[in-house]
Amino acid sequence: MQNFKKVAIANRGEVAVRIIRACQELGIKTLLLHSEPDSKTVAWRMADETVCIGPATTIESYLNIESNIEAARSHGADAIHPGFGFLSENAAFARACEDAGMVFIGPSSQSIDLFGDKISAKNLVEKAGGPVIPGYQGEDQSEATLLEKIAEIGFPCIVKAAAGGGGRGLKVITAMEEAKGAIEASKREGLSAFGSDKVFLEKYLDAAKHIELQIFGDASGEVFCLGERECSVQRRHQKIIEEALSPALDEKLRREMTDVAVKIGKAANYRGAGTVEFLLQGQEFYFLEMNTRLQVEHPVTELVCGVDLVKAQINTAQGHSVSWAQQPTFHGHSLECRLYAEDPYQMGIPSTGLLGSCHWPHGPGRRFEVGFEPGDEVTSFYDPMIAKIIVWDESRPRAIRKMRQVLRETVIFGVKTNIPLLIEILDHPEFTSGEMTTKFIEKNFSKTLIDYGLDDSQKRAVQGLYQRVGDSGPNEFSGSTSFLPNPFLQSWGSRR
Amino acid sequence: MKTYWLEIDGRPVKVLAEKLAGKLWYHMDGETRVYEPESKYASGKSSRASATPGVIAAPMPGKIIKVFCEQGDFVKVGQVVVTMEAMKMEYSLESNIEGVVTAANFKSGDQVAVGQEIVKVEAADG
Repeated sequence: MQNFKKVAIANRGEVAVRIIRACQELGIKTLLLHSEPDSKTVAWRMADETVCIGPATTIESYLNIESNIEAARSHGADAIHPGFGFLSENAAFARACEDAGMVFIGPSSQSIDLFGDKISAKNLVEKAGGPVIPGYQGEDQSEATLLEKIAEIGFPCIVKAAAGGGGRGLKVITAMEEAKGAIEASKREGLSAFGSDKVFLEKYLDAAKHIELQIFGDASGEVFCLGERECSVQRRHQKIIEEALSPALDEKLRREMTDVAVKIGKAANYRGAGTVEFLLQGQEFYFLEMNTRLQVEHPVTELVCGVDLVKAQINTAQGHSVSWAQQPTFHGHSLECRLYAEDPYQMGIPSTGLLGSCHWPHGPGRRFEVGFEPGDEVTSFYDPMIAKIIVWDESRPRAIRKMRQVLRETVIFGVKTNIPLLIEILDHPEFTSGEMTTKFIEKNFSKTLIDYGLDDSQKRAVQGLYQRVGDSGPNEFSGSTSFLPNPFLQSWGSRR
Repeated sequence: MKTYWLEIDGRPVKVLAEKLAGKLWYHMDGETRVYEPESKYASGKSSRASATPGVIAAPMPGKIIKVFCEQGDFVKVGQVVVTMEAMKMEYSLESNIEGVVTAANFKSGDQVAVGQEIVKVEAADG
């Protein structure tokens, strides 16, 4: 057992803020390892200490093992929390932490190795008796072999970066003539995002739900399962809305999937937070992948189970056991919406720029995970997710209604967001009925959202307002400055 | 951000608004929108995801991954002519007309700004 004095955070945005808060509540100092542009973020302002580990390009900063380790070590960190994405599923990074005398807050490097490579993960699941999707996971990565395997699996099938997470490097192939281009693209994305161009192929299920089980291995070797999340609302294989529990599972199916998830965790001597992802079609479920880290959507599990997964991760890394019941009691329903900086009326193209004022409508059962504040810049260097909104209510219909209300009250100025799209999704009968599959967005929202705009009297009123809001006033941004005028700074300035 | 009350069709309507770099950001009736006077920006419309026939322009700043055509190539409507990367995702840009490529200005690895013309196609019947 060990008590951390200082934890380094090798991440950015809202998850860095989430980890800093957990550390603060545990009485642990924080050290933020950040890139050059990220000195203008909430995490940077909250951390006890900050070190710049490199320029904006991820490969030179957030993916740079040496500079992360060196900065954490030289500033006396006892442990490193990798968050999600970036180095969170990098076994070499976990090992480098251990070699430098620091604790990696996550599973062992062996577990990461085992599950990180999707091919060895599938082999383990198969050995543990888990159901897997037909596919090709072999070492022979020649184009000829891949094309031959694609023909065997049939269409539609997918090609995917073996080291990837989420939707990176994943392409769907519907006909043979698309195969060559898809393989090339997948290899390229894998190489640039993860440094590996190894790919694998599998059958594409076309009416499946994405169901994932949260598992957690504590310091005493116990493996818990904290229920499932449904993340079927995805676009280009990136999740948009997640919820716990899933409306599609009954008790029997939940028990079956839980058993498989725990078996996988135990087979790997798993420690810390992990997620076993499945595709569910009808009553049949297939193992998709195991994520050896905290998930973006972990808050929905926290809210229905009444746990704090980040504190549990840190405590586990310190060698303390958790005090959870083996069979969690689920309470109410929770939904998460990911806010992306993009223009929903322009096919979702990224929207970057300086953040203006924001309003987060706080209230009971409403949680906001935000990494930026007014005056911060949303750049094109990183993931366009700028915040997450999580709600909890007594039932799924109530949670949906609450989320809809919260989204309508949320104000973000300066960059466009996908809020209008999120509201349309929440209103869609296929979503409210709980029948949505991973094809939901493609099927119902493949075209750009139509902006019905304002009527003539509204237009006139807004034109009038444009004149009124005018050029003066304390809320005015001038185009070239990068900070909101801060009344304290201004009064200091006038005194000098 | 400030709260304003507007009168629309004789009813009071609450609006939250702020002007940023000459654009009015406002939140009304549960939705955030942006307003900019048209006269000032009428000529700047081409910087949008291009709807100009035959012009394949960058819809966002990013890096060119591959240009699939050369000057003189014949392309069809919907044919992918360029792939680019922005915010860690790959995007495919398609030709919006059928015709002959008259300009392909970039190569793999080039950075492009929003609205920048990457490929130009001249209509086949032209």
